[in-house]
Amino acid sequence: MNIIITGLITGSMLALLAIGFSLIFGVARIVNIAHTAFYMVAGYCIYVLSVKLGLHPVLGMLIAVVVVTVFGLLAYKFLIDPIREHEAAVLIATIALAMIFQEAMLLIFTGDYLTVSALIEGYFILFGVKIFYQQVLTFGVVLVLLAVLWFLLMKTKLGLAIRSTAEDREVANLMGMNDSQLAMITMGISVALAGFTGAVIAPLTVLSPYMWMEPLILMMAVVVLGGLGSIKGSFVAAYILGFTEALVVFLIPKGAFLKGSVALSIMILVLLLRPEGLFGIVFEEER
Amino acid sequence: MKRVTFGWSFFVTVCLVIFISVPVWGRTIKIGVIGPMNFVQGKGHWNGAIMAADEINAKGGVQVGKEKMKIELVKSDSNEFLSMTDATNAIERLITSDKVDFIVGGFRTESVLAMQDIAMDNKKIFIGCGAAHPEICLRVAKDYNRYKYFFRGTPFHSGYLVRTSFAHMGFVGAILKKELNIPKVKVAIVAEKAVWADPMVEAAQGVIPKMGMDVVGVWRPSDKATDVTAELAAIQKAEPHMIFTMFSASVGITFSRQAGELKIPAIQVGINVEAQKDGFWEATKGMGNYVFTMNTYARGVEVNELTKPFVDTYIKRFGEVPTYTADTYSAILHGLVPNIEAVGSLDADKIVARMENEESNVPSGRIKYEKDAQGRPTHDLTWGPGYLTSLGVQWQDGKLVAVWPNKWVAAPGAPEVTYKGMVPVKIPPWMKK
Amino acid sequence: MVNAGFYLKRFYTIVRGEVLVLPSRIIVALFFIILLGLPLVSQNPYLIRVVILTSIFAILAASWDLLSGFTGQMNFGHALFFGVGAYTSALLNIHLQISPWGGVPLGAVAAVLAGLIVGIPCLRLKGTYLALTTMAFPIILMGIVFALPDLTGGELGISGLRRLSNSLLGNYYIHVVAMLTLCTIMWKITDSHTGIIFHAIREDELAVRASGINTTRYKLLAFCLSGLFAGLSGGLYAHYMRIAGPSTLEVSMSFSVVIWAVFGGLATIYGPVAAVFILFPLLEFVRFWPEYRALIFAVIVLIILLYMPEGLIHWVRDKIEKECPRCKIRNVATRNTCRICTAALD
Repeated sequence: MNIIITGLITGSMLALLAIGFSLIFGVARIVNIAHTAFYMVAGYCIYVLSVKLGLHPVLGMLIAVVVVTVFGLLAYKFLIDPIREHEAAVLIATIALAMIFQEAMLLIFTGDYLTVSALIEGYFILFGVKIFYQQVLTFGVVLVLLAVLWFLLMKTKLGLAIRSTAEDREVANLMGMNDSQLAMITMGISVALAGFTGAVIAPLTVLSPYMWMEPLILMMAVVVLGGLGSIKGSFVAAYILGFTEALVVFLIPKGAFLKGSVALSIMILVLLLRPEGLFGIVFEEER
Repeated sequence: MKRVTFGWSFFVTVCLVIFISVPVWGRTIKIGVIGPMNFVQGKGHWNGAIMAADEINAKGGVQVGKEKMKIELVKSDSNEFLSMTDATNAIERLITSDKVDFIVGGFRTESVLAMQDIAMDNKKIFIGCGAAHPEICLRVAKDYNRYKYFFRGTPFHSGYLVRTSFAHMGFVGAILKKELNIPKVKVAIVAEKAVWADPMVEAAQGVIPKMGMDVVGVWRPSDKATDVTAELAAIQKAEPHMIFTMFSASVGITFSRQAGELKIPAIQVGINVEAQKDGFWEATKGMGNYVFTMNTYARGVEVNELTKPFVDTYIKRFGEVPTYTADTYSAILHGLVPNIEAVGSLDADKIVARMENEESNVPSGRIKYEKDAQGRPTHDLTWGPGYLTSLGVQWQDGKLVAVWPNKWVAAPGAPEVTYKGMVPVKIPPWMKK
Repeated sequence: MVNAGFYLKRFYTIVRGEVLVLPSRIIVALFFIILLGLPLVSQNPYLIRVVILTSIFAILAASWDLLSGFTGQMNFGHALFFGVGAYTSALLNIHLQISPWGGVPLGAVAAVLAGLIVGIPCLRLKGTYLALTTMAFPIILMGIVFALPDLTGGELGISGLRRLSNSLLGNYYIHVVAMLTLCTIMWKITDSHTGIIFHAIREDELAVRASGINTTRYKLLAFCLSGLFAGLSGGLYAHYMRIAGPSTLEVSMSFSVVIWAVFGGLATIYGPVAAVFILFPLLEFVRFWPEYRALIFAVIVLIILLYMPEGLIHWVRDKIEKECPRCKIRNVATRNTCRICTAALD
């Protein structure tokens, strides 16, 4: 039971992050290392707005998401778009961007650990397991977000455009879709998702300028495991790795620190059997 | 107009540079302070050092032979948490470019080992103020001629940390037994995954049964874990009365906060570095109530006559209780300076020869450098009543108060130890059914 | 005497005809001379230390370029080879008392094996999949290091290693000469038949396979070669620092390598070397402003990339040299006609 609940929470968080990462990769072929850095910035925004300025946490969270999205769009417009043709350069640019965010946060907030108070304090007991209300809330928000996203991608014209670009950029372009504009929109959605993740997770965790490193690796593992560019894949893989982590902690308590290694080993094993991930689309060789 | 302003500011800058680099009083004693300056540990290093330097310089400086020398500090960011290469470059620069005479600081054991080698190459006295691993001082015993320039400034090595925490456990265990009326206290061991904690976990598993308590399990979360609900759920299932913690990093906040929020019916005793800081209450949003940790200093506690002035001045100047890395203060003021004055020169060999045999009072107790079983000097710190014992502190409703040593008997027949300013331990109310 | 004069004259002719004609060659020659002659000017231990570490990382960055720049097999876990080299050499030195002169090459052999272990399964993966998968390997190894503290020292690492030489100058020349030699070897490899195939694999693997070349074997070869050089630099690093710790396996180490190489310019070997020689001392130089150190570093990298997405060295080279449209020979940018075929340059 514990395993299921912990796995669900970790999995949901990973799913949110991974889907955002996967989206922008699928549409614009951008490997955005700074993705989790946006999530960190969101956490700090909430800290400033709700703890320092005393705004209502929910309001703080919404503003934080907006702020982060604006940051993301600006970064895309001025730093990534001009060099989009050079994949390696884009990669390094996003790493540098993440470092800049990290250093800026370090300068403003120092390296001390900060926390944000939960929206709903307390816990309830389900099948003998204590669960925070905040965790349930997080889970709920994740589900709602995923539903909205699904609707956006599957039922709207924009979603159709995004999906078709992800599948074959050149043909989509030929069909009259504005590739560059679409990439911009997708970047916005992607960063907003990272912001939302930061918003719902901030009260459950400890803020530090280095907090973007840890989920980054797992998030990438999720994306690769699920298949790059596949939303469904990311979703399933997130829960697989989430449950793996929970299992490791419960079955070998002394080896709890190994959870990352085990999750990554699973990823590699799966990839050996299915090089394109669980639900990956085999991309045509882009020449 | 603009040009004139520029000219003036340029002139002032030049004057300042000359003023700083060519002090009127001639030669100074240069002390390098090295640490992770972006983090609490490094800030402690620096704060303690400037307090010591200001205090000495206010008195006119250090009497070296016939000359009076002022102390000049050189701040160096080792960035050792993120890059070991940076740390070694920083110390090399301190020694060979800034030409410091002495070095204090260092925190992460892996980098202290590397920095130690460089300081020893250059025969500079290096007082380590942060790393607790015994290996650092074992090197002194093994190769005295090379490593004799290294001294441990703080904390005492991890073997003694364990013994202190066991004393804490016994202390709290006895109270639990009496107040809750339970026959046998059950203990869960939770230690972050880090090398310093490994021998402690092993020792704890061996010693706890001998103390008349049961171990119900061992958990090792990552030191930067941001969610330990999984571990907590498992711990709750094991029904311990006491959780023996070993945390040095952010997991200390996460664990205490989530345990407090879930009202896990067990008291946390042990080492939780984050809980030693004033910011802990805010960081856990008050959920860290009743957390008990080892600490070096606390408000209102007097280990000896030096404690109160140091702690009070520190709080006044920096607005917080000193952490143990601020012991660069005693390393400079009570360690280096008296020995320099006694020897009458800055000659490292002479200072080492005197320092290793000297005992001195410091704000946290009394320093005496140890010798190992074969009589070789290790430059490690002596632990025990009369020397360094450290404190046990507990968070009680927003205040960090000292609760140990309170009528502590270190060994059968030894006198009781109680420092001034102790208050009784409080047990979390949700433990009483 | 006459003989010496003859050789001297010949040497001069070669220098004039082959080196002085191209600014990039002059720069490389100057680089060699300055590095080898530096101790004559200054023996500041701090400076020497920075140059030694720069050299070690230059080997590492160039070895990444050999694999990822040339064959296009994006490796995000290059720290694996570095760490394996460092740990193997350190373990041999501490437990079997093998001298560093034997330990470093053996460490490199271990890194080659690591290259095989990583390479064989990863050959099935492409592009970003490969990048993200390779990133996982050093992290998994780090888990193993932490799980076996008795052997590896866990978080503490293996300390108390012997240095290659005990004198300042000895160390300096060992590392600098090693760097110059190894990088020249790597450059020669990329210039050889094998190097051309590597390059071709990156451009169009399908076409290479269609020409009857076993690309799998060549990709594996690239993994091994790259592992070899990275392992050597890892061993050198461990013995120079006298400690091999988990920091050699950190993600930031893998990232640094990629930053260096891309900053310098991919598929050149000398690009990454130049980048390390610019960026690493830069990081030391901004030490006078400690709070902003990493920030300045990141901003500089970002700005340079924005203006020179191909990498710094490609950009500089295109500014000072022109390629002859007819015979593809490079010329100084100031020339109007090609120095070989006299075709007009534009």
